[in-house]
Amino acid sequence: MSESPPAPSASPVGFDLATPFRQRAGRALNDTFLQQALTIATTKFIGLRGEAFGEFPEGEALRDRAREIKEATLQRLDHYLGLLVDNVEARGGHVHFASTAAEARAIVLDIGGRTGARLAVKSKSMATEEIELNEALLHAGITPVETDLGEYIIQMAGEKPSHIIAPAIHKTKGQVADLFARELKREVAADPEVLTRIARAELREKFLRADLGVTGANFGVAETGTLVLVTNEGNGRMVTSLPRVHVALMGVEKVVPSMTDLVVFLALLARSATGQKLSAYTTLVQGPRRPGELEGPDELHLVLLDNGRIRQVGGPLRESLYCLRCGACLNVCPVYRQIGGHAYGHTYPGPIGILATAMLNGPGAVKDLAHASSLCGACQAACPVRIDIPRMLIELRRQVDDAKIAPWRERMVFGLFGGLLRRPALYRLSARLGRWLQRPFVHGGRIRGLPLLFGEWTRTRDLPPIASRTFAERWRDLAREVGS
Amino acid sequence: MTTRAEFFEGIRREMAKTRGLFPAGTATRPAHPHEVVETIRREMAERWPQALERFRREFERVGGVLHRVATASDVPGVLGRIARERNAQRLVAWHPGALGVDWSAALAREGIAVASMPDGAVMDDAEHQRLRGLTAEADLGLTGVDLALAETGTLVLRSGPGRPRSTSLLPPYHVAVFDRGALVESLQQVGVFLEAWNTRDDGFGGVVNFITGPSRTADIELTLTRGVHGPKEVHAIFVETPFREGAAPPSLPNAQQTDG
Repeated sequence: MSESPPAPSASPVGFDLATPFRQRAGRALNDTFLQQALTIATTKFIGLRGEAFGEFPEGEALRDRAREIKEATLQRLDHYLGLLVDNVEARGGHVHFASTAAEARAIVLDIGGRTGARLAVKSKSMATEEIELNEALLHAGITPVETDLGEYIIQMAGEKPSHIIAPAIHKTKGQVADLFARELKREVAADPEVLTRIARAELREKFLRADLGVTGANFGVAETGTLVLVTNEGNGRMVTSLPRVHVALMGVEKVVPSMTDLVVFLALLARSATGQKLSAYTTLVQGPRRPGELEGPDELHLVLLDNGRIRQVGGPLRESLYCLRCGACLNVCPVYRQIGGHAYGHTYPGPIGILATAMLNGPGAVKDLAHASSLCGACQAACPVRIDIPRMLIELRRQVDDAKIAPWRERMVFGLFGGLLRRPALYRLSARLGRWLQRPFVHGGRIRGLPLLFGEWTRTRDLPPIASRTFAERWRDLAREVGS
Repeated sequence: MTTRAEFFEGIRREMAKTRGLFPAGTATRPAHPHEVVETIRREMAERWPQALERFRREFERVGGVLHRVATASDVPGVLGRIARERNAQRLVAWHPGALGVDWSAALAREGIAVASMPDGAVMDDAEHQRLRGLTAEADLGLTGVDLALAETGTLVLRSGPGRPRSTSLLPPYHVAVFDRGALVESLQQVGVFLEAWNTRDDGFGGVVNFITGPSRTADIELTLTRGVHGPKEVHAIFVETPFREGAAPPSLPNAQQTDG
């Protein structure tokens, strides 16, 4: 059988780590369509989320509850994960353990090879993006087909997702129509309704024919061995009902203790992501096909993925293991809203994506990204489990600095500044000196266009000038007045 | 390959390094979920009209269509109308045992071609393919409902013998029939049912699906489009006179493999 996946375009616009982050960001800033698409999408998501929580007064208390459950689960992670493994096995599933992305790929390929799979249908899964499973499947002679419409589009374009929950928000309907036309070799109208109908027909045929279903998992319920998939399109249901083998790849942090805990997260996940009370489909999968059932896979495999996560159970990024992957922090981030997902250059974009990238690839991978945040805290405020993202970004900046990854000039300037702050006499002197030195550069009440080292800083920013009387000086005067 | 022992040793090593960020506990599970289920059922026996009204509001908000009839014998008429308006003829249905009523003859009189799914597994590959083909070609999928959740307008369906997963998924029009016995008010109450179903060996079914409106996507320029993979319309028929008591739960001792 000669099966061909949607052919990638000649010039993939996926991740381009050869280009420095600044240039990637610059390119995004100059992309007029992207700018428009990002503004529309993120603004819409923010509005929908706001409305959803606005009419859900118990939401705030529930967020605290959810945060506590995540922390409690991490504190006994070995117990709950062990329970999940036992219960998945008790229901007739198989559990595999992957320490690295390579190991996870090898496990999936082994299952595919052993069961003679040729065509794999996938529902949207960031974890499989993370381990670059599609490339590996293709190489092994198994054709992977992404079935989430957004993922299907970007697979066809040979690109990467640009948003955790809306992978193709950077594409126009015209671009999508062109992709479909090239793939199907016929004229296609640039109408979302028409395009969706075409995708339905194309993918329906794949669902019915595929022998391997690959998914992630939004949650794994320890007490019952249940894997939970949340989708709007229904592709998660197709993938877990029709093929004879189902493989689910799940990060270890996705385990929740019980069904009672699960419903707390379900109440928050869709509201945070798309402003829905619940997504169209929440699918609770319990083992392979039961005796007496007409449909469902003969085999169910759960691949538990470490890939840098476990190291953070006792590490500085522990709290990022609470993440539900709802994407709310992307929409509110002033940096993401400007540059979009691709400029980050890694599987997980946005504020949480910086932490995830550091977790998966080490702090060295985020030496630029750690600074791609204004630390405004909007991400933490939007997060359904209130992850303190700014705190961890600062921690990453410290690590980046310790590892001497930052440019030497930057480290020198901050080193000098630190030294100054530690010596009060020198600090007072510097204020007086600075007032005199800044004179030529103050225009319209702001410091602009500094020379030398500082030029790069002031090229895109201005600074308030040093005050004619500093706080310390005024304090001293005040103390004198009161004293006399 | 990493073994379970190695994997968990790594986790325990990391856990030893930290005491956690703050003292925390998980949600408190009901000790006897079946008793709580009974309490909910008793409460709903009185409050079902309000719950139904709320269900209707939320179900319509997510794009569902609610029909209300007096008795189970009115159901085929509603289905006939839905089918005629959409020029639909072919219907696949859960097994009559799982629905609680056999509507086949009455549906045939409405001009609908009915294929009822078997109440057990099918071992014969050709027969399995035939049933899958019927479902994939059908216009309408008829199912029962285990829970109708008012808070979100959600239908909860357990799979099992006579309750194939695809009946509510492959046809473009899904019609689900329920009575007051399925109504619950909150997601939290659904959590209690999930706990209760799990304490029995086969109360759960292979999968439990929460269905909240039709299949939808907004992946192209955020334009909402229905029916991308699953049904483009979801109808719920509420029957005032309870009829579902006799419907089989996901697994009965006698609901074993049929058709050899």
